[in-house]
Amino acid sequence: MSKVLVVDDDPSLLKALRIGLTARGDDVLVAHSGAEAINQVALAGPDLVILDLGLPDIDGLEVCRRVREFSDVPIVVLSAYGDERRKVDALDSGADDFVTKPFGMAELEARLRVALRHVAARSDGSEKATTLEVGNLDIDLVHHMATLSGSPLQLTAKEFELLAYLARHAGKVCTHHMILKDVWGPGYGAESNYVRVYTHRLRKKMGDEEGQMLKTIPGVGYQLVPGAHSGVPNE
Amino acid sequence: MTHVNTSGLATKATYQRTALGIAVTLASLGALLALLLPFRAHLSTTIPALVFVLPVLVGTVVGGLLPGVVGALGGFLVYDLFFLPPYNTLTVRSAEDWTALGVYAVVVLVVSQVVAKLRSAREEAERRTQESERLYDLSQTLIGDLTLSELLTHMVATVQTVFAPRWTALVLPATDPSDRGSTAALEVAASAGKPLTPEDVASVTSGGGQARSLGLLDDAGPRRVSVALVVSHRPVGMLVLQDVQLVEHERSLLGTFANQAALAVDRAQLSEQALRARLLEEIDRWRRALMGAASHDLRTPLASIKTAVSSMRQVDAQLSPADRAELLELIELQSDRLARLVTNLLDMTRLEAGALELRPTTVSFSDLFDDALALLGGIVAPGRVAVDAPSDLPLLHLDHVLMSQVLANVLENAERLSPPSSVIQVTARRAPRDAPLVEIAVTDEGPGIAREDRESVFEMFSQNGGGGRAGLGLAIAKAFVEAHGGLIWIDPEVTHGARIVFTVPAATRVAATV
Repeated sequence: MSKVLVVDDDPSLLKALRIGLTARGDDVLVAHSGAEAINQVALAGPDLVILDLGLPDIDGLEVCRRVREFSDVPIVVLSAYGDERRKVDALDSGADDFVTKPFGMAELEARLRVALRHVAARSDGSEKATTLEVGNLDIDLVHHMATLSGSPLQLTAKEFELLAYLARHAGKVCTHHMILKDVWGPGYGAESNYVRVYTHRLRKKMGDEEGQMLKTIPGVGYQLVPGAHSGVPNE
Repeated sequence: MTHVNTSGLATKATYQRTALGIAVTLASLGALLALLLPFRAHLSTTIPALVFVLPVLVGTVVGGLLPGVVGALGGFLVYDLFFLPPYNTLTVRSAEDWTALGVYAVVVLVVSQVVAKLRSAREEAERRTQESERLYDLSQTLIGDLTLSELLTHMVATVQTVFAPRWTALVLPATDPSDRGSTAALEVAASAGKPLTPEDVASVTSGGGQARSLGLLDDAGPRRVSVALVVSHRPVGMLVLQDVQLVEHERSLLGTFANQAALAVDRAQLSEQALRARLLEEIDRWRRALMGAASHDLRTPLASIKTAVSSMRQVDAQLSPADRAELLELIELQSDRLARLVTNLLDMTRLEAGALELRPTTVSFSDLFDDALALLGGIVAPGRVAVDAPSDLPLLHLDHVLMSQVLANVLENAERLSPPSSVIQVTARRAPRDAPLVEIAVTDEGPGIAREDRESVFEMFSQNGGGGRAGLGLAIAKAFVEAHGGLIWIDPEVTHGARIVFTVPAATRVAATV
């Protein structure tokens, strides 16, 4: 059972989500505005936030940014179709994932599960952790070594950095922009084809040609899904 | 095509002036003769010589050189016949008289010529003044804010007045799209003077739009002058004058006219194009706004319907009967909301496209209010709304269907933004001032609307401005109210919550008799 904060200005959607999530076993809090949402995150300490981008008072992106100043709580953004630009901006502003309206409960639940597991993985160790574990993928940051189901992966330095970055943010949708800035350097940001080439190589080496573990989010970026894949590396 | 009737009398006037000059000359000559004849025995022969200079002067001033010459001849004969002895013969007796007669003849001829020259110089100056005045008038007309057809009418009328041909026609490339074949067809866009016969029309529009670089020339047919209207080497039209004889200065005047006209036609055509482009742009902007607002407003109810339905499928076993009932109610209300939005949208689109006509009927305010609540299908509980309308409120004369949607939209907006326990005030009253209008106001206790958003809440643009008010509902309300000739606005004096006011037409005649 998790404590979920739902932020939306449409009372009907709030009601539907409240009933649906409560029935699933969650403890549901609601907020009708951005200001209320920020207060609730600070005071009630939810495990997860479902945030609509179109709020009457503070823009959803701004809410993401302000929450990130004091909390690592996973944020799943609700966006409207045709809102691609804002969706990517929200991810860059610290949101973990997004769901496009209208959505079914099954889809929402799947996203919530990934996002919650993400935070569970993250809370295992501090930022200073020397090893990362995502499903059956183990990464040794000190020795630049990665093993999948116990077999070592032969990675170049860049491939390792990319995988380590995604593993550090496992469960979160990472935009091209975020990946480029962190892995390639602050001078990069628009060269999404670089990322495409390296994720392609990584998938090959990990035996994940289907992209089930290293998921492509079309038009947005990539997501390393914890426990989605139990493959063995290609030699 | 427009046709203007004018008649020109320029040359006729000249003949009349000459005839008048001759008449005046002869009449004054006769009068002076009658005056002097009784005293001729007592007069020196030089007095009549001086006196008979007068008719010549008068005639020349009035009618030009010809009356002057007539006066000189007449004066010579009269002087010789009646005042130089022997009387009544052309014979002249003394050398002194010969001298007097000779000097007289020379003086009057010289005088008449000098006076005639002065006169024609003055006429020339007058003519030039007139021409520049006409040109000035024309250019004033041309730079004025006229539509293309008004401009063309003015132009041909001016040319007709100034040059007095049989008719004047302005030929332009055909604007009717169906005429645009392989060769651009020509059409007579405006004409003046005598009506054009079908043959005339055929003869000026033939040539299939070949850009005759005419400059100024006399072409086919008797005394027809065609002038091409050219702007930066590109012909924009042609001016045709039928049956006109132009002298040199008239040709250059016509050329100047044509240049002015060409610029004006070109400019008017460009500005009409620009206007059309602006109109299209406006329609396009409106469409995009509608699409944006519609997709947002349609998706909102859809999102909660989908979430509710999928919850029921996903976790049905865990739902309490109360939860299930709540979800079902939500689905029904949101489906109604969706249906209403779709109806609103269709009505609005048809209204904007001119396909929806208002069907005004006479209804009471309370009927309108009940219908609005019914439209909202339970979204606004009747108990939440306090209605205040005077008993002598006139009946309303409006399209019942559209206006109940307006009230419903405004009520829904108020409901959505008010705290759940608050009351929504609805008031109706006769509009202040004498207009046959009723003012309907809906007041809520929501967050209110910032001053800068008071216009934009009625626009379809921002979804987030105006404290969440903007969207289709109020934009549609505005369109429907304005279709009734009414106004809708946010009361600027209300600071707590918001008060939306709109006017609807009252049924004046019915109210007076009932």
